[in-house]
Amino acid sequence: MIAELVQYVATGLLVGGVYALMSIGLGLVFGVMRVVNFAHGDFMMLGMYLTYFYAVSGRVDPLLGAVLTLPPFFLLGVLVHRAVLGRVTGGGDPARQQDAQLIVTLGLSLIITNATTMLLTPTPRGIRTTYATKAFALGPILLNQARTYAFVMALVLAAAVYLFLTRTDLGKALRAAADDPEAAGYQGIDVRTMHGLAFGTGIALVAAAGGLLATYHPIEPNVAVNFIVLMFVAVVLGGLGSIPGAFVGGIVIGLVQSLTLLVLPFQLQNTGVFIAFLLVLYLRPQGLFGRRLRTV
Amino acid sequence: MRPMLALLLALSLVVPAAVPPLAHAAEDVKIALVAPLSGRWARQGQLKKMGAEMAIEEINAQGGIKALGGAKIVLREADAGDSVEKAVSAAQRVLTREKISAGIGSWLSSFTLGVTEVAERLQVPWLSLSYADSITERGFKYTFQTSPVSSLQAEQALDLVTDLAKKNNRPIKKAAIVGDNTAATVFFFKPLREKLLAAKGIELVVDEVWTPPLADATAIVQKLRATQPDIVFYGATNFPDSVQVLQKVKEFGVKSPIQGVGAWLVTPEYVSTVGKETLDNIQTVVAAHPVKGQEALVKKFVERTKEPFMTQDPLCTYSHVWLIKEAIEQAKSADPKAIRDALAKIDISSGPAVAAFQPPRVKFDERGRRIGATPLIVQWQGGEPFTVVPLAAATRPVTWHK
Repeated sequence: MIAELVQYVATGLLVGGVYALMSIGLGLVFGVMRVVNFAHGDFMMLGMYLTYFYAVSGRVDPLLGAVLTLPPFFLLGVLVHRAVLGRVTGGGDPARQQDAQLIVTLGLSLIITNATTMLLTPTPRGIRTTYATKAFALGPILLNQARTYAFVMALVLAAAVYLFLTRTDLGKALRAAADDPEAAGYQGIDVRTMHGLAFGTGIALVAAAGGLLATYHPIEPNVAVNFIVLMFVAVVLGGLGSIPGAFVGGIVIGLVQSLTLLVLPFQLQNTGVFIAFLLVLYLRPQGLFGRRLRTV
Repeated sequence: MRPMLALLLALSLVVPAAVPPLAHAAEDVKIALVAPLSGRWARQGQLKKMGAEMAIEEINAQGGIKALGGAKIVLREADAGDSVEKAVSAAQRVLTREKISAGIGSWLSSFTLGVTEVAERLQVPWLSLSYADSITERGFKYTFQTSPVSSLQAEQALDLVTDLAKKNNRPIKKAAIVGDNTAATVFFFKPLREKLLAAKGIELVVDEVWTPPLADATAIVQKLRATQPDIVFYGATNFPDSVQVLQKVKEFGVKSPIQGVGAWLVTPEYVSTVGKETLDNIQTVVAAHPVKGQEALVKKFVERTKEPFMTQDPLCTYSHVWLIKEAIEQAKSADPKAIRDALAKIDISSGPAVAAFQPPRVKFDERGRRIGATPLIVQWQGGEPFTVVPLAAATRPVTWHK
C-alpha cells in the first residue's frame, strides 16, 4: 500500500514537472504583460515539431533538441510581440485592449494549428527514444526514464528563469515593468522592450517544454488542446502572475491527477484537478502564491 | 453609341438561340464526405478522403455513371472537427448548400450518430463505417451501416480469441478491459462486461475506462502487471493515449496478449512512434482490412498516397463511393430518395463496391445494417498489419503470444 502510494506520488511529480515548465511561460507572459495567451499551447506544439525535425534530420537527441528550441523560439516570440501583440498591449483603454488581446491570441492559436495541419498534415509523428520505454527501478517504485529526464531538465530550466529574474539587472527590470509599468518607465526602463523580452522568454520556455514532452508524447498539430486548460489551471492555482506559483501549480496538478486515481475511477481523473482548483479559489482566491490584489 | 448598344442587345438575344447547344453534358453527382479533417481525429478523416478520392478517380476515368449519361462524381468534403456539435453543423452546411445525392461519414461513432440525424431529416442516404449499435437502432430510413456492430464484434472477437488461445494451449481465464469512453468502445466493452466473459467462465480482473486525453498510463499498466490477464481487450481511440499505454506496456514488461477494437490500432504511425517490436502480435478486430486477392488494389493505393499500407478507413470509404455509384446506376437517378430506395434493395457481391466487406456481399436489412457483416482480425507482424482471421481471407497465419 505504501509502495503504491509512493508510486502514485512519483508518477504525479514527474508528470507535473513538465506541466510546471509549460505553465511558467504562461505565468510570465501574464505577470509582465497582463495578456492571457491562448496561443501558448500552440507554441509548445511548434516546439515539439522543431525538436522532431532536429531529431530526424540532424540526429539530435530530443533532450538536447529541447534546449536548442530556446533561441529560435525566443526570437519568434520577440517577433510576434513586435508584429502583433505589441499593438494591443501597453497603453490605451485597458478594457478594449483586453478584448483585442483575447481575439489576437485566439486568432493566433487558430492560425498556428490550422497552418500546421495544412503544411505538416495531421499524421501524428513521434521521436523514438530508448528511454521512453525504460524505467529506473527504486525497489518496487518505477520511474520512467524519459519522464525523469524531462522532469530534471524542467527543474533546471525553471531554476535558470528564477535566477535570471531575481539576480540579473535585466530580470529585475522585467519584474519592475511587471509590478508598475509607469514607475518603471520613470526609471528609464523601456517597458515595451521588457514586454517583448517576457513574451520571447515565455514562448521559448513552453517550446522547450514541448521538446521535453516530445521524448515520450506523439506530436500532432492538435496536441495543444490536451494541455492548454491544465496550463491555465496551473497558473491560476499558483496565483496569477507569480512565476514560482505557476511552477508549483503545475506540480500540484500532476500530483492531483495521479493521486485522484487512488480514490476515484479513471474517467474522473481531471475532476480531481478541478475540485482542487475550485477549493483553492474558494479558500485562497489569489491563488497559492498570488498577492492579494490579484484575485480572480 | 445607341445603335451599337442596340446591336449588342440584339446579338445577345440571337446568339444563344443560333448556336446549337453542345452535346448536353451530364450534371455532376455530388457526394458529401463529413469526416474529421482537423482536430484530434484529423488523421482518420484524411485516410477516408484518400479512399474516396481514389474511387472517384476510378469511376470518372471509366466514363462516370452510365445510367446518367456519363455523369461525373464530385466530392464535397466537410470538416467534422473534434466535437459532435461541429460534426452536426458541418453536415448541416454541406447538405443544405447544394444538392447532395448521398453522404459518407463520420468515422467516430459519436459523430455518426449526430450526422445521420441531419441526413435523416434532410432525406439524404448516408453510408457509415462506424460500429456503434445505436446508429441503426433508431428506426432511421436513410442510414446504412456496412460494419458489423460493436456488440457483435465483441461476441465474435471473444469467440475467436478464446479459440486461438485454446489452440495454443493458453486458455483464457482472466481478462482485462482497458480503453476510453467513446461510443464504439463503450458498445464493445458493455456486452463483455455484462455477460460474455462470465458466460465463458472468464474472470474480469482489470476494468479501467478513461475520458481522453489520458494524462499518464502508469496506474493502468501497473494493474495489468499485477494481475497478468490472459487477454487485454483494448480500446484507446486517441492516438497519444494509445501510445502512452503501449510504451508503458513495454516499460513494465507486461506480456498479456492485446486484443484491440477498431482500426485506429493499425495506422502506420504506430511503427514510427512505438516501434515494430512492441507492436508484434498485437491484434485488433476491424470492420475491414485488405484481404487475400486485393494486392493490386493495395498497391495502387500505396502508389497514389505514399502510405505504407492500406487500412479500414480508406478501404471502406473507397467501397462506399462505389456502392453509391452502383445505387445510382440502379436508381437511374441522382435524386437522394431514389438512391436511398436503391440502397435499401441493393444486393451485390462482386466488384469494388464490396471490396471492403466480409463476406463480400452488400444487402441491407430493414434497419440499414449489412446482412451477415462479420469482423476481421488484423495482427501486427514485423511492422505491418495483416488480416489473420477469417482464414479464407487471411494474408498471414496468426501468431499467438508465447
